[in-house]
Amino acid sequence: MTASFYDVIVIGGGPAGLAAAISAHDSGARVLLLEREARLGGILKQCIHDGFGLLRFGEKLSGPEYAERYMDELRAREIDVKTLTFVTKIDNTGDGFRVHTVSRGGVAVETARALVLATGCRERTAKQVFIHGTRPAGVFTAGTAQHFTNLLGLQPAKRCVILGSGDIGLIMARRLTLEGAEVLGVYEAKPTPSGLTRNLHQCLYDFDIPLYLSHTVTRVFGADRLEGVEIAEVDETMTPIPGTERRVDCDALILSVGLIPENELAQSLGVRLDPRTKGPACDGDCMTNVDGVFCCGNALHVNDLVDYVSENAAQAGKAAALYRPRERRLIELQPSDDLLYVVPQTLDLQRAGDALTVYFRARKEENGCTLEITADGKTVFSKRYAFLRPPEMEQLTLRPGEWNLSETSVVRFSLRRPEQEAQR
Amino acid sequence: MKTATLNRKLQQLYGGRVTASAEDGCVVLRGELDDWADVVAACQLAAKKNSTHHVLNDIACPNAKDAPMRLPPDEDRSLDGDAPDVLVIGGGISGASIARELMKWKLDVLLVEKEADLALQASGRNDGEVHPGIDLGKGSLKHKYIRRANRMYEDVCRELDVPFSRVGQYVLFQKRALFPLIALYAFWRKHHDGIEDTVLLSGKELLRREPQLTTETKFALYNPSAGVVCPYGLTIAFAENAVTNGARVALNTAVLDMTVEDGRITAVKTNRGTLRPKLVINAAGVFAEAVAKMAHDRFYSIHPRRGTNSILDKKTGAYLQSIASVKDLSVHGKTHSKGGGVMRTAHGNLLAGPDAVETYEKENTETRPESIRTVFDKQKTTLPPLSECDIITYFTGVRAPTFEEDYVIEPGRRTKNLIHCAGIQSPGLTTAPAVAIDVAQMAVALLQKTQAVEENPSFNPVRKGVPVLRELDDDARDALIRENPDYGEIVCRCEEISKGEILDALQSPICVPTLDGIKKRVRPGMGRCQGGFCSPLVTKIIAEFLGTELSDVRKSSAASVITYGRTKDGEGGGAQ
Repeated sequence: MTASFYDVIVIGGGPAGLAAAISAHDSGARVLLLEREARLGGILKQCIHDGFGLLRFGEKLSGPEYAERYMDELRAREIDVKTLTFVTKIDNTGDGFRVHTVSRGGVAVETARALVLATGCRERTAKQVFIHGTRPAGVFTAGTAQHFTNLLGLQPAKRCVILGSGDIGLIMARRLTLEGAEVLGVYEAKPTPSGLTRNLHQCLYDFDIPLYLSHTVTRVFGADRLEGVEIAEVDETMTPIPGTERRVDCDALILSVGLIPENELAQSLGVRLDPRTKGPACDGDCMTNVDGVFCCGNALHVNDLVDYVSENAAQAGKAAALYRPRERRLIELQPSDDLLYVVPQTLDLQRAGDALTVYFRARKEENGCTLEITADGKTVFSKRYAFLRPPEMEQLTLRPGEWNLSETSVVRFSLRRPEQEAQR
Repeated sequence: MKTATLNRKLQQLYGGRVTASAEDGCVVLRGELDDWADVVAACQLAAKKNSTHHVLNDIACPNAKDAPMRLPPDEDRSLDGDAPDVLVIGGGISGASIARELMKWKLDVLLVEKEADLALQASGRNDGEVHPGIDLGKGSLKHKYIRRANRMYEDVCRELDVPFSRVGQYVLFQKRALFPLIALYAFWRKHHDGIEDTVLLSGKELLRREPQLTTETKFALYNPSAGVVCPYGLTIAFAENAVTNGARVALNTAVLDMTVEDGRITAVKTNRGTLRPKLVINAAGVFAEAVAKMAHDRFYSIHPRRGTNSILDKKTGAYLQSIASVKDLSVHGKTHSKGGGVMRTAHGNLLAGPDAVETYEKENTETRPESIRTVFDKQKTTLPPLSECDIITYFTGVRAPTFEEDYVIEPGRRTKNLIHCAGIQSPGLTTAPAVAIDVAQMAVALLQKTQAVEENPSFNPVRKGVPVLRELDDDARDALIRENPDYGEIVCRCEEISKGEILDALQSPICVPTLDGIKKRVRPGMGRCQGGFCSPLVTKIIAEFLGTELSDVRKSSAASVITYGRTKDGEGGGAQ
């Protein structure tokens, strides 16, 4: 068994890990990047559609092209990378971390002062959305169907139903149509679509694929290969309405019903998760409650644009490189019920002088409202939005140094709607 | 109950639509009813506990017409004319353990299973509990075998390299007033029925051992001899050991008909040709009655009963170390199931279930939302942090009880070269190793009437399973990877399964090169992502191993196509 010493170990070689490793290196750290798959790039490898990099590079790139830009940067810096290397466990030694890995070379232990967890997310499965019935072949999560189609060159469906209007589901509706499959419809349990507006247009409307809102799949049929699904209308609580069930014959069900940040390693280190994001609760440096453990990208919260992932990861990488043990004075950033979440969840008063990048999502569609941040009841920041949609994450740069914060301060994020405005 | 009394009661209940008659050592019920529940109720009324005069259900029920038995698609002559000493019908825990036991003699044993793998029905769709027998009284076959079999588990699982742990079972009571009754019950079970390991615990002691269980418990029955095992893992292990000792296993092979002449089965028709076995063992689960009928030896009826279990994320495995359930005496006697419970499985997941629902459909393993609801409503009272949100999968199995709710383990009553191992339901997994010994002895005794049967001196009881790399310490794991680097390439991230383990499963004695076959053997796809990440990778490993196209790989059965060939410009060969 071997052991090497690094300043920063980045776990995960997708877009977040790549950006974090580069940024940590540029901040002077000796960096090791660990990737469990054979190739870097994470899920971008199978995202052969375009639309990546509009914010970051000002051009439309495919997933592999976007990843390639970062991989070139990584190579130019000669950063240590280990692929096909799987982290089995991590020990926190108090002054650093021992990362146990398994690879074709055997078991190894790498040590570092700081960790960046860039472990991405996984897809919610059929059973997690309580689809019942038989267990035939032909029920895929959208990402799995995308892997079969784009990486293995195989046709997973001829006539399919898509459940969930998340971005991957929409992308796969178009992709399978282009491969000659018949996409009977995209069914969404919520009353509003879950994917980006641009994907609704480019992937569904342009191909005449119907979108059924407030509908869900309750059951699958078929003993060997899927033969059909039962569709039902749902009420406001997303509960199927009895009597509305109907059967749709198809040979595949593609699920795009949500992503869950993968934080099993984080949890083994005692990292606390935010139930709203299902990712770690972090401070403005992307540091979790465990000193020296940073988290970024989709492991922190599910993003809709890779450009945001890269930006957030670069910040985490830099902070990890500059990390020295110190006392933190954390105060909470509290979202109101109008908001799905706010990231980061805490703010370190020691660092209040720095610019703070904040991401948030509205809980439901809002037309014409104002985001308001109050500190101890006093409005310290507000911004008007013509509209907010849950699938579209918003980003802000704040200057908390100007808010006169103390350790007992309460910082709240909320939305003010026009009618409330009028009352003021 | 006398037949006349029974008929009077049936007359009251069903107005003459059902009648009973005593025929040939059976209680035969005839007539017609509209509702399957009534059919079951009528037969249950006629059934006598521990009686060998079984209820035969010949009540027509036009509203409850079961689909024909699902058959494998293959049709060939590969087994035509084959004349094994023993033909075992059914590749569940019973058939597999019997086949292995028979290999202790010099016998040609052929096991046929109509599904694409072993343990695909009830044996692979249960909770994996090794029962202590606390609910069983003298007089039943279940009781006859339970203690002997329970004690065999360490040895059997060591020989077969199957994980087993004696985690203990707690039955929780929430009414202090029940204490004298339950104490008496435990005393009776101990001294009359030989269930000697039962201990009564206070609610406080229970919480000290299992702090997440309900604080409402006043006292509990504890049976340290209860354990957990992987039910399909054990079935496969039995069958593999049988095969390495010379038995043959034919999957996708269904028994379609039999020829019986002079009280002997002379021919068994399958989709792979006609067999001429010297002896037939009926371990066909829900189809045991149908096989008995083919063999002209039908003297019991099977009434299928569904049960659904849920598997939860391993993160919740820490909630519980053992098996536990709250006992609600108000339902006692109404159902023939312990009403399910919660347990930590042999693989460290939390499991909740099963429920018990009578059904006429022998092969309908669809899951239904109400099953999950029933189980979780009940089991949240056992383990309050239990939550549907942590479910990663759920599955339904169909039990195969007789109306007497006991096993039928005996030679044919009319047909001489036949042994029944039927009516096997909970605790059938537990009792299998002991039942197998008896059935094998019956088989040898029957065969010895016409031929010499010698012991097999070269029988090797030891089976080596695929190494489980994630459970090794760093040094041992490192050493194995240096021997075989494929052990260092992780394919399934949730369960930490390497390519080497998958290749080992493909080279195991009963190779089932499908996604489900590999999943059952070494667990890729059993974790929280349910194969989302690894199923394309496993597909690729299987195709490379077999030297076939990726699209030739199946989920399970021949018709369970995963992909329909290449995309328009796809390579299909899988260059990644």
